[in-house]
Amino acid sequence: MDKAVSIKGLRYTYGPSGGAKQALKGIDLEVGKGHIFGFIGPNGAGKTTTIKILLGIMRSQEGSAELLGRPVGDVKVRSRIGYMPEVANYYGFLTARETLMMYGSVFGIGKRVLRERSAELLEKTGLSGEAERRIKYFSKGMMQKLSFAQALINDPDLLVLDEPTSGLDPLARSAMRKVLKSLQSEGKTVFFSSHELSEVELVSDRVGIIYEGGILGEGPVGELIGGKEAGQSLENYFLQMIGEGT
Amino acid sequence: MRVVSAVSGVMVKELIRKKDFYVFLGLLTAILGFLSFQSFSGIGGVSRYIEEIGYTLVMLFVFIIAVTFSAKQIPDEIRNKTIYPLLAKPVSRGSLIFAKYAGSVLVSSLSFLVLYCVYAFFCINSGGGAAPVLYAQGLFLGECFVLLSCAMAMFFSVFLTFSANVTLSFLVYFTFGFFAEPIREAVLRAEGAAGLALSGLYYLIPHFDLYDIKVRLAHSWPPVPLWVLTVVGVYTALYCFLLLFVSEKIFSGRRL
Repeated sequence: MDKAVSIKGLRYTYGPSGGAKQALKGIDLEVGKGHIFGFIGPNGAGKTTTIKILLGIMRSQEGSAELLGRPVGDVKVRSRIGYMPEVANYYGFLTARETLMMYGSVFGIGKRVLRERSAELLEKTGLSGEAERRIKYFSKGMMQKLSFAQALINDPDLLVLDEPTSGLDPLARSAMRKVLKSLQSEGKTVFFSSHELSEVELVSDRVGIIYEGGILGEGPVGELIGGKEAGQSLENYFLQMIGEGT
Repeated sequence: MRVVSAVSGVMVKELIRKKDFYVFLGLLTAILGFLSFQSFSGIGGVSRYIEEIGYTLVMLFVFIIAVTFSAKQIPDEIRNKTIYPLLAKPVSRGSLIFAKYAGSVLVSSLSFLVLYCVYAFFCINSGGGAAPVLYAQGLFLGECFVLLSCAMAMFFSVFLTFSANVTLSFLVYFTFGFFAEPIREAVLRAEGAAGLALSGLYYLIPHFDLYDIKVRLAHSWPPVPLWVLTVVGVYTALYCFLLLFVSEKIFSGRRL
């Protein structure tokens, strides 16, 4: 399997040794290219810490990770990655179009291409009518859409999304699912974290479950659910795995 | 270079779209306009006051803009979490520090240029006006002042909060900008270990007094010798390099 994400024995502990919290307890994970991988777990399970290490924002204390065959510390590999953070905060004094242009220019994309790509992404995310509006006036949902658009500005091979559907209405969620599926059909890989299991079930072809810093299970959605008890939902399976199910 | 251009472009837009700069521009114009009006009312020699007060105000306002802009860059990025999408792109922490510094220098230099032009306009129109070469030297020294102010605030910003950074920066500026002479005398008088420690501290802290030529402007003294300007330029470049180098080292090791 050609790997887009490969994690081996990743460990991370927050805080001083006395009051330390072990966020990751040596996790192993692999995501093949062309998959939509749902990384699920409750709040505080270690999803965002894993993502920040993958993107080189934080450094792992033990273990290793690779993205698209390159070590996560490699700055160059990030030109092939798109990232949508959990909290969508951008520069309020910029307009939506300027925000996309700014993030695009970091990749060294030419202005003409960038203008076309920004317009296309604003259209795709339903923000074309708000292109010239300063984003300090945007609602949470609009910020999420803009955040999604900035993650796509470099036409990435791997898309890393942290809680992408939070704050989105059902219509916007459906539109985002369509975009993710179309990206998959283009051969792109999507790695996204969420605690909204129904959403994960709808869009992912593989999932990994993280709980208290450890991976509890990983595999294709159908196999995981069917393997346990045919007809059950991902949510029930998840609750059983963490010992909360009935 | 692409990171510097993207980040500094955003900072210039921030300068243009927020009110801060316009407040300083309005304030400087109002004060210098008021002083110019006094000269028409028959108060003699007012042009000297315009040159001295105006220069002090320009440097003070530019320092406020430079320090507040530089000091907030990294802490604001971290607090608002806007740093994450940036660092997830092909942007190293070192290049982010340099880009933020370059942006702060660009913004402060633009502000300085506008304020300095307003100042020169009032000086020349109030009947005074030093030699053009002195104004050009003021521009050069002002630019060095901007470079050092931004580097100092950027350095403090990697380990201090915004308010602590601004307070400390102002303390350094006022101490050495206004009391350089008595401090120098005290350092020279001190003896033994205390003298050595004071001398070390004296030369370690940025000397904002080096950039001040208001007395020369006000009294139309001869221009600063070229070798002095060269030494000041080299001092500024070395000091800024050192501050940015240490800032990058601290920021690269910082947990985000």
